[in-house]
Amino acid sequence: MTYLFMTYTIIWALISGYVLILGKRQKQLQKEIKLLEEWNTEQ
Amino acid sequence: MSILIDAWTIAWKDLSNELKTKQTIGMMVIFSSLVILVFSFAFDPTNNMVKAVIPGLVWLITIFSGILGLNRSFLSEHENDCLTGLRSAPIDPSSIYLGKVLANFIVVTVVQVISIPVLFILFDYRFLGAILWFMLIVIVGTFGFIIVGTFLAALAANAKNSEMLLPVLLLPLLSPLMIAAVQGTRIVLENQDISDAISWLQLMAAYDLLFLAACFFLFEFIMEGS
Amino acid sequence: MSKVSGIIDKLLFFTLVPSFFLALWLVFIWSPVERVMGAPQKIFYFHVGCAWVAFLAFIIVGYYSVRNLIKPNMNHHIAAGISAEIGVIFTTVTLLSGMIWGKSSWNTWWTWEPRLATTLILWFIYVAYLFVRKMEGSWENIARLSAVFGIIGCINVPIVFMAIRWWNTKLHPVVFGEGKDQSGGGIAPEMLLTLLFSIFTITVLYAFLMRKGIEIEKMRDTVRRAKNRAISRLAS
Repeated sequence: MTYLFMTYTIIWALISGYVLILGKRQKQLQKEIKLLEEWNTEQ
Repeated sequence: MSILIDAWTIAWKDLSNELKTKQTIGMMVIFSSLVILVFSFAFDPTNNMVKAVIPGLVWLITIFSGILGLNRSFLSEHENDCLTGLRSAPIDPSSIYLGKVLANFIVVTVVQVISIPVLFILFDYRFLGAILWFMLIVIVGTFGFIIVGTFLAALAANAKNSEMLLPVLLLPLLSPLMIAAVQGTRIVLENQDISDAISWLQLMAAYDLLFLAACFFLFEFIMEGS
Repeated sequence: MSKVSGIIDKLLFFTLVPSFFLALWLVFIWSPVERVMGAPQKIFYFHVGCAWVAFLAFIIVGYYSVRNLIKPNMNHHIAAGISAEIGVIFTTVTLLSGMIWGKSSWNTWWTWEPRLATTLILWFIYVAYLFVRKMEGSWENIARLSAVFGIIGCINVPIVFMAIRWWNTKLHPVVFGEGKDQSGGGIAPEMLLTLLFSIFTITVLYAFLMRKGIEIEKMRDTVRRAKNRAISRLAS
């Protein structure tokens, strides 16, 4: 039973880890877009 | 036909360069002897275990010293932009690949001719197997190693950290060849039924042919741009 | 075009969520407990699903690599990269769950069983592929080089499987045909249904992650270009 528990914990941890990485990339993108907008208004 | 002549020209260029300096071969021989030395500390050579590890060691020293040579084979062309010169020469890009394969194969074979007897002597191994079969397996295995190795060395030469990249790319691709080579060598050295070794040899030959064809056609794409 | 892809995204998401819970319910509650192996047998469903997706992702990397060699295309390049990334995740999951399952049923963490060993080699090839993509240089260059490596890697995987299988059967080559069948001859119909459904769910998950990843990567590329343009404008 512990094995079963262990396995599914690992599976969810890894998949949600990848989703988190994707989320981080998206956040980075938002930051960069904001930066670009600031540059545009400066002009 | 002209591809082969061009290939031989390029191979001869590399080999005569090597004959003049003798640097790569010297380093490879010393390195493989050092690997043997380190392994004789790791596995006590007086022990009975020697018989079990010898087939693996033959291939380990080949691969470790071979990677050193492969690293040099395309990086040395980066000096003075020699690669651009080769590419703009009126020859088929595949002949560059064949020439490099030929040169590397000869260099690694020379290293093996020295280092494998050294291995047997230092481990005090009495050779009882069929020597012709042993040589055939070593040659076919080494050829496969060089085919894939030269190709990936050309690929890795585009990166800044190519010395580190090459083993990471090469070793997983070599795994089937190495399984076959080590098993075949073991069968021959232990004087077992030769027909088992032949089926491993067939697997190696199939690997060689398949990758020679694939690398031959894909090499153009590596040479483009870069 | 964007409307259609938006619909596809929604469709994927709304099939993914219910089928996920349904799959979990099927695996944990509905499907019978195997008599010999007990509860750890339930690892099997997601293990097989992840293994299937790992190999599928690799085939897709190979497909986009070939497309990329024929005609370099940024979208294909991105798709191959994301597929490889997801492939690494699922290969890792397959390896870890396979190890735990092996521990529970054969009492060893690792055996050189052909499928398990092939998955390990596959993992290394994936990681090497991602290393090739990390090289510096123009994207066309990297796209070409990584495509070449992807194709070579694809050729290699079946050979690895065969070599390890020969090795394992102790030098009595079997090329095709009967191997050691893991799931045993008879599988209960409930189990089969659960297995198929969890494979389906994980495939949908793969498709969903793939689309999201590609979308983000494309946006990153657009933003990078816009940034470069803005910088050069500010500089002039």
